[in-house]
Amino acid sequence: MRLLRSNLTKTEVVPRIKDLVGVLQNQIPSGVGSKGKIRLDPENEKKILLKGARWAVEQGYGETEDLERTESGGRIEGADPSLISAKAYERGRAQQGTLGSGNHFIEVQYVDEIYDEAAANTLGLFKGQVTVMIHTGSRGFGHQVCTDFLEVMERAVSKYKIDLPDKELACAPYESREAQNYLAAMRAAANYAWANRQCITHWARETFMNVFGMSPKQLGMSLIYDVAHNIAKVEEHEVNKKNVKLIVHRKGATRAFPPHHPELPAIYKHLGQPVLIPGDMGRASFVLLGTERAMKETFGSTCHGAGRVMSRHQAIRKAKGRLIWREMEDRGIIVRSAGRETLAEEMSEAYKDISDVVDVVHKAGVSRKVARLRPMGVVKG
Amino acid sequence: MAIEKLRRLDDTKMEVPIDYKPGMRVNGVIYVDAVLEQELELQSIEQVANVAMLPGIVKSSLAMPDIHTGYGFAIGGVAAFDLQNGIISPGGVGYDIN
Repeated sequence: MRLLRSNLTKTEVVPRIKDLVGVLQNQIPSGVGSKGKIRLDPENEKKILLKGARWAVEQGYGETEDLERTESGGRIEGADPSLISAKAYERGRAQQGTLGSGNHFIEVQYVDEIYDEAAANTLGLFKGQVTVMIHTGSRGFGHQVCTDFLEVMERAVSKYKIDLPDKELACAPYESREAQNYLAAMRAAANYAWANRQCITHWARETFMNVFGMSPKQLGMSLIYDVAHNIAKVEEHEVNKKNVKLIVHRKGATRAFPPHHPELPAIYKHLGQPVLIPGDMGRASFVLLGTERAMKETFGSTCHGAGRVMSRHQAIRKAKGRLIWREMEDRGIIVRSAGRETLAEEMSEAYKDISDVVDVVHKAGVSRKVARLRPMGVVKG
Repeated sequence: MAIEKLRRLDDTKMEVPIDYKPGMRVNGVIYVDAVLEQELELQSIEQVANVAMLPGIVKSSLAMPDIHTGYGFAIGGVAAFDLQNGIISPGGVGYDIN
């Protein structure tokens, strides 16, 4: 998940929103199995797996400053391209710089509520301001890595005689070759995802430049932050008053590190880590900050989004005979989607209310609210 | 194995007690208030309990308020394992890596 700020206000963007969403959809490849504008040779694909967003910046997609504002600098150490299957390479080759389908999106939003003026100011956010949120990941590449290693882990479970209540929990002891190989392959996929969002960021900026006829400086579309929410990382945490290294699995959960954590970029040292929480396409999204309490209670983690209340199939049934895009447009939100059924799957009612979700983590103190963002235009995969 | 076996810890947290299911090494903690409690899926609670049975799990098997049923591990789940006795599981990350 990543969030870009801008110098534009809602009033400046509303008259152009249809154009803007149309051009974004044009410039950023989306849809199931979508192929990108980037053609990777095997050598460059390997470089992406090792360098992540850094590869993208080296190719001219974005700025060095973007990397400083990305979790792990947009590149996690310890990826090993030699552990990736031919099939994963094949799926990854054409999908770098693509949005994909399902719940992935690029959204034009505006800031409609500020809960902490000082924090919002440091993040470069103000009321009425237009922001851009990008949600996509490692695409078919990461999917294939997961599939490949679930097979490896199934064999590992019998090899290491691990007793499991559910075979879907297939795993291997941390120090085993199987586990270390998965970790190295997963890191490669994480790097692929960071590069992907970095490329898309570049095209989003270009689109704004073209639609509004403004320079990068006038637009001020700097990155606020980029954070993962499906990842396993080795981190130091306090357990029984001792600092120990743990392997933290976050699946649909966001890292939420407190102020002064060594992993924070210098500009956010005193603030805590920005946390970006998208809601469904009709309601809202939130910017939060990580807290000390999260470090104590949740291994420095918080929620990641609204969470479904309806399965995709249920949602499709419920949307039968309805024009979801028209319903959204009536509410002032322009939505475009490549997939015929994506908008049905992704309609608001299919999700919990994001405000309820965020209120819980805020009240529990595992993160704190800074700003609420409302959707204006959405490109769905 | 039912939602009645969950214990409310405070306004924002419910516990999946360690005796919710035989074999749990730690308890489960789900961050939900009274509103979102109504939307908890039984299967996702089972998944929080199942993760609590994995070797080397530290403190608690956690879930955030956006919890819903996933592949093996609930989506919205957080689980930390120690490096000596713990495990790594692809299901704890999911298909959509990063």
